[in-house]
This record gives sequence, C-alpha cells and structure tokens, in this order.
Amino acid sequence: MSHRRTLTLADVSVGDALPELVIDMMATVVVAGAIATRDFMPVHHDRDYANAQGSPEIFMNILSDTAYCSRFVTDWAGPEAIVRSLKIRLGGPAYANTTLTYTGSVTTVDALDSGEADVEVTFQAVNEYGQHVSGTMVINLPAG
Amino acid sequence: MAEPSPPPAASFQDRIDALVGSPMGSGTPNVAPDPVNQPMIRHWAAAFEDSNPAYVDPEFAESSRFAGIVAPPLMLQTWTMATPMITGIKGRGGAPLPSNDRSPLTVFDDAGFVGTLASNSEFEIHRYLRLGETVSARTVIESISSEKTTRIGVGHFVTWVTTYAVETGPGEPAEVVGIQRFRILKFKPGSAA
Repeated sequence: MSHRRTLTLADVSVGDALPELVIDMMATVVVAGAIATRDFMPVHHDRDYANAQGSPEIFMNILSDTAYCSRFVTDWAGPEAIVRSLKIRLGGPAYANTTLTYTGSVTTVDALDSGEADVEVTFQAVNEYGQHVSGTMVINLPAG
Repeated sequence: MAEPSPPPAASFQDRIDALVGSPMGSGTPNVAPDPVNQPMIRHWAAAFEDSNPAYVDPEFAESSRFAGIVAPPLMLQTWTMATPMITGIKGRGGAPLPSNDRSPLTVFDDAGFVGTLASNSEFEIHRYLRLGETVSARTVIESISSEKTTRIGVGHFVTWVTTYAVETGPGEPAEVVGIQRFRILKFKPGSAA
C-alpha cells in the first residue's frame, strides 16, 4: 500500500493555504467521536438530555475537536509530520446536523540546522452558527 | 478551658488565591486503565476518519521516522479518561463516576459564579506514545485571573495544567510526554453588560 509523501521545508511557504476539511457533522459523527475518546457525557450522545440543558442538539466534545484539528493539519502535511503543540480557543458549539469547515494557512516556517522544519499553521473552523474553534498548531517536518 | 476563637472567615479573594497549586480531583495521579494499544487507536482513527498510516499500518510505521506504530498525538487525553459507571450518569450531570470529592471550583459557585464556559485547550506534545506504554495524568490549578468583564458576564478565568507521563522502569522517574493547559470561565449568568 502506497502512502502520501510527507512535506519538507522546500514544500512550504508562509501564506500557503491548507486544503479545506469539511465535516458533515451528523449525530453519528458526534457520538462516534465522543465514545472513541471515552467521553460519556450525555450532551454528546442524548438529544433529549441536551435539549433539557438548553442546547438545540447534541454537540461535539472537546477531545474530538482536537482530534479533527490534528487530522486537518496532518492530512495536508503527511503521515510523518510530528505535532509539537496545539492551542485552540473555543467558540460556539459544533452541534449535530451542521457542517463544520476547517480552513487555515502557514504562518511561520523555521528551518532547523538538522534540515527539519518547524511550521506553524493558523486555522479556524466555522459552522452555520459562526466560529466554532480557532487556533494554531506547530508541526515538525522531516529533513528533505 | 476556653474555646479557641474561630479563625476569621476567609475572604473570597483569599479562598481563590489558596486554590492556585492545588490538585483537581483526589491529588493522586490518574493512571490509564489500559496501556496504549492498537484496538483503541484503530477505533479512534475510524471515528475521526484519520487515515494516517503511522497509527495503524505496522509496515509503514516501521519504515517511517517513527520506527514503529505511534498513538495519535491528540489521543493523549483519551488514555486517562475515567472508565464510566453508566448507570446513574444522567443524575450525576454526566460525571463518569460517583464522587464524594468536593470540586475545588465550588468556591466560585458559592460566590455566584455558577456558569462554566470552556475557553481554551493547549497541548505541548513532547513525544508520541508507543504501544504498551501506560500513561498517568496529574492535574493542578495553575492560575486564576482577576475578575474580568466578558461578553457573557463577569467572571474569573481558571487554568489548570495536566502533566502526562509514562513509567520508565522500577525506581526511575516517570518521563513527561505532554502537557495540557485547559482554561474555563467561571461567570455570573445574567451579569453581561
């Protein structure tokens, strides 16, 4: 099975846009993420419970948020990119039955003596309600 | 013998100052119920449709810079999540387990800051986890802001820091593999300007 090459220093420049990641936030997606991250809070799987708490729908848990942030960046950078840090600011909830769209771009590129590169991506994700999350991720790319 | 006089009631500011540095939960490290393992990684990767072969394809992983399967870096927090007692979870407001521990944050609720809003989550990943490693997590309150006026009301930002570590061998210090900072706003509902 062949896999996509991982980006290196020569492949990235400040201002490069990442491919969009669009998540069809079905209830199944919300529940699958909550259980895979071992988060059994009812607001992430039980709509009646969420309604009683004042939410129109179940909504994605924060561990799923960070999972999608890493997928958004490593889908672009390739399988050997190493995540160094992630900083997110949370906006409105990612309710079920919405569409969540991640966009982002390269904001810094640091060439290391080893030939590796540390690259910062600044991103956001929005849905029908507005901004859901924004933040930065730093990844390390292998030497070319 | 004279009764000792009661200590003067601590002010709200004294009480929140005293929280900084104190543990969230019991104070003992929260040890993952299972070591890092392929079935849970595969389940996670499927849920998020993350096709990174470093997580699930041994042949690719061996030949990569990881030299073997690694856990998804942002799966770090998942390993130490409590195994829940499902029965009664709604009545506990979603808390995975019954607990007699009084949350240190009740100081805020007692003073009217009953609202809670998650604000930020930040991870520093020192290294990726490998199959068979057992993660533990220790969480302490790192800082509490002065009273702030926000869009949703007046409140205090509370930041706690979780240190994730793995055991390296008998008598050896645990190796820190990652740090998470999590920030919430404890606010007074209805106090927005």
